[in-house]
Amino acid sequence: MKINFTINGNHICLDIDPMRRLIDVIRNDLGFTGTKEGCGEGECGACTILLDGKPVTSCILNVIHADGKEILTAEGIAQKPIGKLLIDCFDETNAVQCGFCFPGFLVVSYYYLISDGEPSLKKIKSALSGNICRCTGYKKIFESVMLACERKPRMNTNEHE
Amino acid sequence: MKFYKPTSIPDLFRISEEIEGKKYFLAGGTDINVQIKNGIIKDEPVIFINHLNELKGIKESEDIILIGTLTTYKEIIESDLLRKVLPFFQNSLKSFASPILQTMATIGGNIANGSPTADVTPLLLVLDAKLKLFSKSRIREVKLSEFFTGYKEFILKANEIIGAILIPKNAETGFDTFFEKVGSRKSLTIAKLEIAGLKRLKNNKIEEIKIAAGALNEYPRRLHKLEEFLTGKDIDRIDFSQVEEILNREITPISDLRSDKEYRLQVSFNLIQSFILN
Ligand SMILES: Cc1cc2nc3c(=O)[nH]c(=O)nc-3n(C[C@H](O)[C@H](O)[C@H](O)COP(=O)(O)OP(=O)(O)OC[C@H]3O[C@@H](n4cnc5c(N)ncnc54)[C@H](O)[C@@H]3O)c2cc1C
Ligand code: FES
Ligand code: FES
Repeated sequence: MKINFTINGNHICLDIDPMRRLIDVIRNDLGFTGTKEGCGEGECGACTILLDGKPVTSCILNVIHADGKEILTAEGIAQKPIGKLLIDCFDETNAVQCGFCFPGFLVVSYYYLISDGEPSLKKIKSALSGNICRCTGYKKIFESVMLACERKPRMNTNEHE
Repeated sequence: MKFYKPTSIPDLFRISEEIEGKKYFLAGGTDINVQIKNGIIKDEPVIFINHLNELKGIKESEDIILIGTLTTYKEIIESDLLRKVLPFFQNSLKSFASPILQTMATIGGNIANGSPTADVTPLLLVLDAKLKLFSKSRIREVKLSEFFTGYKEFILKANEIIGAILIPKNAETGFDTFFEKVGSRKSLTIAKLEIAGLKRLKNNKIEEIKIAAGALNEYPRRLHKLEEFLTGKDIDRIDFSQVEEILNREITPISDLRSDKEYRLQVSFNLIQSFILN
């Protein structure tokens, strides 16, 4: 079956089994290996991407769910000013150890920054509650996102996507 | 696995009727894909429905709120209409899984998956919700309380789908409300048990009370015997040993990997007691 979508700005048309897992198509067919597979059951958030601007776990979606839509993965976000800001903040706070969970945290933190962005620990915790980190623990991760929220208003860009 | 993407609702039923035997309707996919991974779904045909816009959205008529089956939890939690009309229902669903899952999971999929732990069902039961079931040639309305018949069993016919959920607009008006989901962590947790309740007091007496339990029987259900016992009682003079006895006859919790039977009995009694007294 023919399926169309854009991923990180590239238009893609695939003739593909529509039940293939979206994560497999993103990683294996299209080479965006920033998206990671942890649990494969929707529990850990490592495979999170933005689908039409909203965070979803790509391991429990089928490629048909992306038909006609827009995908943004960690690679795409890393190119955006707010993505870069977040990466700097995670770096400064030493919030990343093995890094396996990081693409997922980057995606949900990016969504939080563009959809809300209030430097509120309570809100950040809730926004990140679908993601698991097995190394660093969450304190530094929350601190990183908090720092990004505080710095964002000072940025020159008017980025909303 | 065979895959179909209907172009409309009539097309959906045409396709569905041509397929004999077991088939799945792919909505958000959050249950189906886990079941595929775990080998519970093998190669049964799948009909995609998640793109059918007629099955999405929240509408109001004079006395009913209609929630299309494909409405996601995120849409429910963010709905201005529900914030105004059914705030208890809306607030209670904020504990569903995580914000990510709320974006993907549909309300109809939650009910149709049939798990005894489905978050939404006890809430809908105390709100006296109905389901609108669609098939090729007819639409029927059934009370949610009459939908389930056993563990993961319900009255949905082979080529019938859940089309919408109907909730009376005044379902929670004038009631004290209660919803407690007990799990092992706050986020992404499957309930060990759930209690939903509505009560209305007059002169310290229980004028009306509705209690529903999830994960405590083969399917979520109202505790009618307990409701009957409590109706008309003065809340300062309730014999809670009797409440416990009735409750223990009305729920049949099991021990499984999430919890054991004794814990479920004790905690559900404690919750119901605090619901009645507070
Ligand atoms: C990590 C994780 C956390 C979860 N947390 C929770 C939680 O906190 N609480 C909770 O209750 N559930 C939870 N779930 C379960 C699941 O997300 C919900 O049951 C969800 O609402 C299912 O909806 P869906 O659209 O994804 O269903 P799908 O997976 O698309 O379908 C589920 C089933 O329903 C059938 N179906 C779907 N729509 C219809 C219809 N309109 N008519 C007839 N049949 C239909 C399908 O054939 C299938 O059998 C969780 C799941 C995961 C993976
Ligand atoms: S790999 Fe998708 S949520 Fe864990
Ligand atoms: S840094 Fe290793 S899992 Fe988070």
